Amino acid sequence: MTDSPSETTSPPADAASSADDTAELAAAVAAAVGGTVAQAEFGTAKVAVERGNWSAAITAARDEAGLDFFNWLSAIDWTKETTLGEGVAEPDAVEERFEVLCMLSTLTDSRKVIFSVDLAKDDASLPSLTPLFGGAEWHERETAEMFGIDFAGHPNPVKLYLPSEFEGHPLLKSFPLLSREVKPWPGKVDVEDMPSTENPEAPPAEAAAENDDGASE
Amino acid sequence: MGVIEKFGAPKPLSWLLNWSRKYSLWMFQFGLACCAIEMMAASGPRYDFMRFGIIPLPASPRQADLMIIAGTVTDKMAPAIKRLYDQMPEPKYVISMGSCSNCGGPYWDSYSVTKGVDQILPVDVYIPGCPPRPEALMEGIVMLQQQIAKEDVREKWNERDRQPV
Amino acid sequence: MTTPPEVMMHLSEAAVSVELETAEMTLNIGPQHPSTHGVLRLVAKVDGERVSEVEPVIGYMHRGYEKLTEVRTYPQITALVNRIDWVSGFANEIPFMVAAERLMGVEAPPRAQYIRLILTEMARISSHLIFASSYPLEIGAATPLMHALRERERILDLLESVTGGRFHPNFNRIGGVKPAAGAGATTKKVSQDLPAGFLDETKVAMERVVSVCDDLDGLVSGNEIFQARTKGVGVIPVDIAKSYGVSGPNLRASGVAFDIRKVDDYLPYDRFDFDVAVGENGDCWDRYQVRLEEIRQAARIITQAIDDIPSGDLQAKVPRIIKVPQGQTYVRAENPKGEMGYFVVSEGGRIPYRVKIRTASFSNLSILQWILKGILIPDIIAILGSLDFVLGDVDR
Repeated sequence: MTDSPSETTSPPADAASSADDTAELAAAVAAAVGGTVAQAEFGTAKVAVERGNWSAAITAARDEAGLDFFNWLSAIDWTKETTLGEGVAEPDAVEERFEVLCMLSTLTDSRKVIFSVDLAKDDASLPSLTPLFGGAEWHERETAEMFGIDFAGHPNPVKLYLPSEFEGHPLLKSFPLLSREVKPWPGKVDVEDMPSTENPEAPPAEAAAENDDGASE
Repeated sequence: MGVIEKFGAPKPLSWLLNWSRKYSLWMFQFGLACCAIEMMAASGPRYDFMRFGIIPLPASPRQADLMIIAGTVTDKMAPAIKRLYDQMPEPKYVISMGSCSNCGGPYWDSYSVTKGVDQILPVDVYIPGCPPRPEALMEGIVMLQQQIAKEDVREKWNERDRQPV
Repeated sequence: MTTPPEVMMHLSEAAVSVELETAEMTLNIGPQHPSTHGVLRLVAKVDGERVSEVEPVIGYMHRGYEKLTEVRTYPQITALVNRIDWVSGFANEIPFMVAAERLMGVEAPPRAQYIRLILTEMARISSHLIFASSYPLEIGAATPLMHALRERERILDLLESVTGGRFHPNFNRIGGVKPAAGAGATTKKVSQDLPAGFLDETKVAMERVVSVCDDLDGLVSGNEIFQARTKGVGVIPVDIAKSYGVSGPNLRASGVAFDIRKVDDYLPYDRFDFDVAVGENGDCWDRYQVRLEEIRQAARIITQAIDDIPSGDLQAKVPRIIKVPQGQTYVRAENPKGEMGYFVVSEGGRIPYRVKIRTASFSNLSILQWILKGILIPDIIAILGSLDFVLGDVDR
């Protein structure tokens, strides 16, 4: 990851400088597209833009900030309650919303910026980026079927992955995985029948602990 | 035809039929996922399953005797698999290769993966593994050949409309 | 190299020079077709031999990875991500591991990083060998398949001797790598490391890989039919590549010398001397040549890394139950197929809140609608093969 030859677990020697780079990049791009810096740590710059400004901001990023490589587009479902997995750390602090993310990068250096826009769940609609980037078409189709977000002006708004009769939007946090409800995690069953019950003083093998850990629900 | 279905074949004839069938299995490649790469490796120079009489050439199910389902079967893909299976002429055999086509494998809880290809067509040999090594695939093929050698021609012909489990 | 211009002219004008009445019809290719590399379906509108429009239908291999990551712990996801791009399983693990490590503030020890790097490059060689075997086959040459597969088996043997798996190694751990399957200590503390003789054998294997590359070159590249079918076919201009997010060898074949190994620091590539293979025209021929060159460069990197590998621990100190602190990060890597990245959103638990998986083949394949317009039907196969996609990487 870095050229620091020391093998400690402390942050690498040039972490501070790369963090500065990220912050600088985020600030510069935010100024260019008229957004605000949402994150500039872990080597990831994120710029939040207003919903009405989405297409304009992406255009500006492409033409003025030089981020002309369309990397990916997706979304996050921020919600207080989840049916599966682990939810957010502080449910009270979260407002229910979608966060649509679009990453642009360059083909000359390591600059890459994620643009994010917040959408209310009851009005999840955003102008399509397909006129700007041809690659956005598939990414938007995927995001639409996974989250139920509407991309206005999309040339081919049909499902990308799932059969057309599929109901629901799988990546919503409220979407259940039926197999998990019918049957508990099979790994857990094995672990419970392990000999550790007969011999309580012997700790279970690490692999068993990992499985148990992985019971997840 | 009808004679064999009613009265069966005399033993030498039945032996001959089974013997000749088991060493010339034309395999319909159903490469779906990771297992397809191992299937490819099994047909490659090191493992070379052609020496068992497996011929991985037919591009059409209509010329095939054996279908190896190698990889994850999704709900979107399942109808196509069923249709291709129906196009194969009798007698036909199916090998389910890998955990995914056996039972869903690592995607056991996914919303889009069929939990086992045996829900849509009858399977003769299951090969476990994720993915099974080429050696495992070859053992599966040998097991199928043993099964074919012991087969009662009359029974096989009568179970044409065998249903999946 | 010698004749193609005339041949190409001849081929491309074949459909129009003969005055036959044609009617538009729909041609369905797939989802089960031997040369679509898996379960891709193309619905093509054809007029005679010419394709007027293509609608690719994907999703036949969609397994719902992004949902499954929301119900798996971090160590479990390692096993899952191997199977995204199944011909280079090891390379898929790296960006995810680095993302989790970055959020946790952990760094893998240098020796572990070198082992990761060596095995990643071996995965690249094995993936490109699959390409080098299947692509000529699709064009009509069956012999290279045997040469490339034989060599790939040797690479897989080496991978297996370290990881225990042929191509789904599941070998990385957060903060380092798993103790290897073989034995041979480098320090007193480390009881299990790379198997004895692995490094020497790998060096020998790398020499052989390069010579096999030359063999393949000799077998295929001089072939007139192969040249006629690949040169000038399926050209991807740079601006289209940018707009569709085409990355990896497909991008470099168009003349862009962009390699994430050179600009990012997910593995210590900056310590090694290697060239970025670049094409000129962005056609199928260049994509084939770029991949062959990448095999040679990967062999070069591995040889240097073996000479340079430090001793030390394989695993940094991490808690027994992995909990990743709150944060978001995107880590990308130069995979054999192109840019692969994970955007990991953690809310501080054992399970990620959201993982967006950016796969190379998905973006590389999204160009199909554009690139398959107006070409001849046989070129569909030549272009599809040259894009070197894996359906698991497309559909996830």
